[in-house]
Amino acid sequence: MPRINEKVSYWMLVVPALAIMVIFYIVPVLGIWKIAFTEPATGIENFVAMAGSNAVKTSFVITFRVAAITTVGCLFLGYIVAYAISNYASKLTPLMLALVILPFWVSVLIRSFSWIVLLGRSGIVNDTLRGAGLIDAPFRLMHNELGVLIAMIHVMLPFAILPMLTNMRGISGAYVLAARSLGAGEWTAFRQVYFPQTMPGVMSGALLVFVLSLGFFVTPALLGGGRVLMISEYITYQIQEFLNWGLGSALSVALLVATALVLLIAARFVNLRSALLERK
Amino acid sequence: MEDTTDFEAKRDIAAIAVERYKQGRLTRRGFIAAMGALGILPALGTKATAQAKEIIVVNWGGTAKDILQEVICDTYTAETGIPVIVDGSGPSAGKIRAMVESGAVVWDLCDSGAGSAIILEQQGITQPIDYSIVDKSKVLEGTAYNNGVGNYVYSYVLATNPKLLGGNVPQSWEDVWNVKDFPGMRTFRKSVRGQLESATMARGVPLNEVYDVLGTDDGIKAAIAKFRELRENIIVWGSGSDSQNLFLQEEVAIGNIWSTRAHLLKDQMDAGSFNVSFNGGVIAPGIWVVPKNNPAGTEETMKLIAHGQKPELQVKWLELIGSGPINPDAAALVPAELAPFNPSSPENLATQILYNDEWYAKNQIAAEELYVDALIN
Repeated sequence: MPRINEKVSYWMLVVPALAIMVIFYIVPVLGIWKIAFTEPATGIENFVAMAGSNAVKTSFVITFRVAAITTVGCLFLGYIVAYAISNYASKLTPLMLALVILPFWVSVLIRSFSWIVLLGRSGIVNDTLRGAGLIDAPFRLMHNELGVLIAMIHVMLPFAILPMLTNMRGISGAYVLAARSLGAGEWTAFRQVYFPQTMPGVMSGALLVFVLSLGFFVTPALLGGGRVLMISEYITYQIQEFLNWGLGSALSVALLVATALVLLIAARFVNLRSALLERK
Repeated sequence: MEDTTDFEAKRDIAAIAVERYKQGRLTRRGFIAAMGALGILPALGTKATAQAKEIIVVNWGGTAKDILQEVICDTYTAETGIPVIVDGSGPSAGKIRAMVESGAVVWDLCDSGAGSAIILEQQGITQPIDYSIVDKSKVLEGTAYNNGVGNYVYSYVLATNPKLLGGNVPQSWEDVWNVKDFPGMRTFRKSVRGQLESATMARGVPLNEVYDVLGTDDGIKAAIAKFRELRENIIVWGSGSDSQNLFLQEEVAIGNIWSTRAHLLKDQMDAGSFNVSFNGGVIAPGIWVVPKNNPAGTEETMKLIAHGQKPELQVKWLELIGSGPINPDAAALVPAELAPFNPSSPENLATQILYNDEWYAKNQIAAEELYVDALIN
């Protein structure tokens, strides 16, 4: 059998994935771009309408705010979990990892519905607090931004933990020990020696969570009570309620561009290659 | 002109019917027995005629399809021998138009909305209703168009939970906007349909002037401002089932919801924890349209529409699925316990206004934009 040339075998491996991307992603995205510029008439009127709309502006602000707070929340909680697993769990590591990954197997829809059961006015949390006599009137835990944030942080947490964990597990314990033996306190050793080494993991977790959160739909739609209107819900609203494909498409183009901008800006401060591709 | 037909509402009625079946409230057999007892069903097929061809009626599917089949179509077949078949594939204005323009019309009678009916008439897609066969006096005033005629009705109503409100129940939209005396969360639709009317009434505008006031920019802005004022107390419903869940889970105490959903809630909620008021309600009709060159012919289709106008059949609609009779005369036949939930009873009609599709065609898109902004910004 003739040996297949290395270049050919490389392309044979890459082409199926590439073809799927082009046919099912690139081509439809170009279609969306086309609709944004051609419906109802050719030109940039959809973008003019979008720029002139206060609702769109507010929706973008809400989208970026929710995504940013979700990212910070996920990083904070995720860092603690990743740190605990990589430094203290030893024997329990497989179990802890399983617990982190387990929620991935349950759909976002179900997880969001579960939060409704927990956070509702007569949900488990409020009922327990009231039953214990701690509060008189139920807290408003959902149908507002708080509810959306709680559920989104929960949904996004594994995306923050996993890159940080991979990163932390590659850090040798010798550095911290060396710092300690040279007289650094526990906190100083962590802050000056350990923490800087975890930055690539933190950054890749942050980017992953932030970018995914920007396009989030299910959780805000279910827990936001209609007033935490993120861009993806606004797009659905334009298309379903008004059959306004032009403006809906223009909004999704804007979201895509905004997301790309975030990555570009991030690239100025972070080495994206090391943040996203090499997690050590 | 924009098509302002509320397809969400139509799909919602289909969804409600599914729930009724699940609850075991609807069985074909039970229904036929009931119809027999009412004397509506004569011996089946006695008058079968040779010249009759079938009539195809199209609605929005789900079990509403089966109910339409049983309530109006099968009874027509029983009387005339003409087979009538319901197709639930959703007769959107676009589909009707495509069918007529391609010359391959297979639908005879379509469950449309006022918005679509007006556009289809302008585009010359539909036939005039023959009011010598269809009785104009048997439909709600304002629902007899040249090329379309009322079919059933549903309303946007003021629903409340007296238990959560401690018995202190808002009686009008003005009360709903009074957060001090009536604390609690409210729900409104995630669309201006049937909602700006409430806000306008809350400003003290009398029923018959609501659309005049909303016809001006200032009127729209004032209604929007009312929502901005109330927004901290608002949870928005997207689908009919959303509105139902918000009441079931006691997330809201007050709301502007569809009467068809209220019809379900009255059975699902505990006694004393659900109440409906048609005071300041907005009543919206479903509209029959007949495509040009329909296969069964104009006359046969008109006869079927006229058959469906019978009060005793219209009442079945209300009992089985919660959408009200288009024929106000049917109110007398409505069982006493259902009367308060009937959108077209004389008492309820007196306190409501008719949904104005022309206003929506002109103003809806601009108003939606302002509405969303008021709620989130």
